Amino acid sequence: MKTYEIPNEIELANTLEQKLELLKQIGRSFSVFRIDCGSCNGCEIEIFAAITPLWDPERFGFKLVANPRHADILLCTGPVTRQMYYPLLRAYEATPDPKIVVALGACGVTGGIFYDAYSVLSGIDKIIPVDAYIPGCPPHPASIIYGLTTALGVLEQKLQKVSFEEEGDLPPLVEDSVLGNTLFERDLLVQAKRLMSYVFGRKLFDKYIKALVQSGNTKDPKATKVSITEAIQTEEDPRYAECMGILHNEIYTQYVLCEEEDKIDLHRVIWGAK
Amino acid sequence: MMKLLDISKKYGEITHKYPFEPYKVSDNFRGKPAYIFDLCIGCAACGIACPSNAITVQFNDDKSKLVWEFDCGRCIFCGRCDEVCPTGAIKLSEEFELAVKFDKSALIQRGELDTQYCTTCNKPFSAKRLVKYSFECLSKANVSEKRLEEAKNYLCMCPTCKKTATVATFTSGKEMVIE
Repeated sequence: MKTYEIPNEIELANTLEQKLELLKQIGRSFSVFRIDCGSCNGCEIEIFAAITPLWDPERFGFKLVANPRHADILLCTGPVTRQMYYPLLRAYEATPDPKIVVALGACGVTGGIFYDAYSVLSGIDKIIPVDAYIPGCPPHPASIIYGLTTALGVLEQKLQKVSFEEEGDLPPLVEDSVLGNTLFERDLLVQAKRLMSYVFGRKLFDKYIKALVQSGNTKDPKATKVSITEAIQTEEDPRYAECMGILHNEIYTQYVLCEEEDKIDLHRVIWGAK
Repeated sequence: MMKLLDISKKYGEITHKYPFEPYKVSDNFRGKPAYIFDLCIGCAACGIACPSNAITVQFNDDKSKLVWEFDCGRCIFCGRCDEVCPTGAIKLSEEFELAVKFDKSALIQRGELDTQYCTTCNKPFSAKRLVKYSFECLSKANVSEKRLEEAKNYLCMCPTCKKTATVATFTSGKEMVIE
C-alpha cells in the first residue's frame, strides 16, 4: 500500500548526487532533527545517552536542533502510528532539500514487535525514502554513533546479506552421557536453566559436569561428593556454588543410588559469624 | 573560569574514542544473534519462540527446501531463540555495529535446509537434519535395538501417516515393542 506520493520537486531535489554534494558542502556540521513517530521512548533515551559527553557526537559535528527547518538529517524512531503520520510528513516536507532520513530502532526499520498491529504503518520506509537503517531495540549509543557516521560515509557498512544454500555434513551433536544415561544431562540442563536462566544456566551446567568428571568415577556417590564440595569451595560466585549443591542434591541423587549422607549440606554459610 | 578548568582537569577525559578505536561492550551484552548454519537442524523452535517474528521457518515455493530466515531489522534482542535452540546454532553475539545504508535486505540472514519427505505419502513435513538429530538422540538414550528399528520407521513419517500406522499396528494384533 502506497500511502504518500512524494511531490515531484522534493524527489528531484533529493537524488544521491545532491546528497553527496550536500555532505561535501556542510563539512563537519550536521543538524539532526529527531521525530518520535509513536516510539516507546527507549530509542529517545538512547539518543540522549548518545549526545552526552560520554559519547560526544559533536566530535563529528552532530547536534540536535529543535526545528525541522534547521535540520539536515531527520532521525525517525517508532513504528509510525496513525496519529503521527501527518506530523511526520509535515516535518519531512519542512526539512530543506536535500535531506537525509535515518530510521532508528527496530520499530523505525521494520515496525519491530508492532509490525502487524492495527494502528501502525510499520516502518518509516513505508512512507518516506530512508537512507540509513539503525536496528536495535533500543540501539546502543555506540550503534547510533556508528549508524550516523556510516550514513555520512565516514565508516564502511559491515553487515551484508548472508545466505546459506548448500547443506554440509551435520557434526555429531549429541555427546555421550557421563553417567551412561542421556536423561541425566537433560534433567540437569533443565534444572540448571530453571535455577539460573539460560545464559548462566548453561555456565552452571558446564561447571557441574566438569566437577563431576574430575571425581574420576562419576557413579560413586562418595567420590562425586568430595569433588563437588571442592568445586563449591573454590567457586568465587556464591550463586554458582549454591546452585551446584542444589543440582547435586536434586538431580544426581535420582540417577545414582545415594544415602542421605551423600547429599551436600547447603547450610555452610553462617551469617554474622567470622 | 579557572576553577572550572581545574575541575575538568581533575576528572580527565571520559569520552569514548569509539569510531576511531574499537569499543568493548560490557559482559552479557545482547548483540546480533549469530547463526551457525552447520549446527541448525531446522526444528523451528526459534521461529515459535520469537516474539516479533523476526525468525521465520517456512518451506519454499516448490517445497524442496526448508528456509530459515532472520530479519535483523525486526529483532528485539530478547534472546529467546538462544534459550530454546537445542544445538546452540543461534547465540547472541557481541556485535553492535548493525547499521546499513539504502538497502534493507543486507539485514537478512537465510539458510536453506533439505526437506524430509514422508515415506508413505511422499509429503514434505520436516528437515532431513531434524530426523537425523532425533535418531542420534534416541540411539544414545539406552533404548533396545528392536525399539530403535521401529523408531527409525516412525521418524520418517509425517504426523498423519504416523497416527494411521500406529492405529494399524494396534488393531492388527501384532506384537508391539513396549518399554
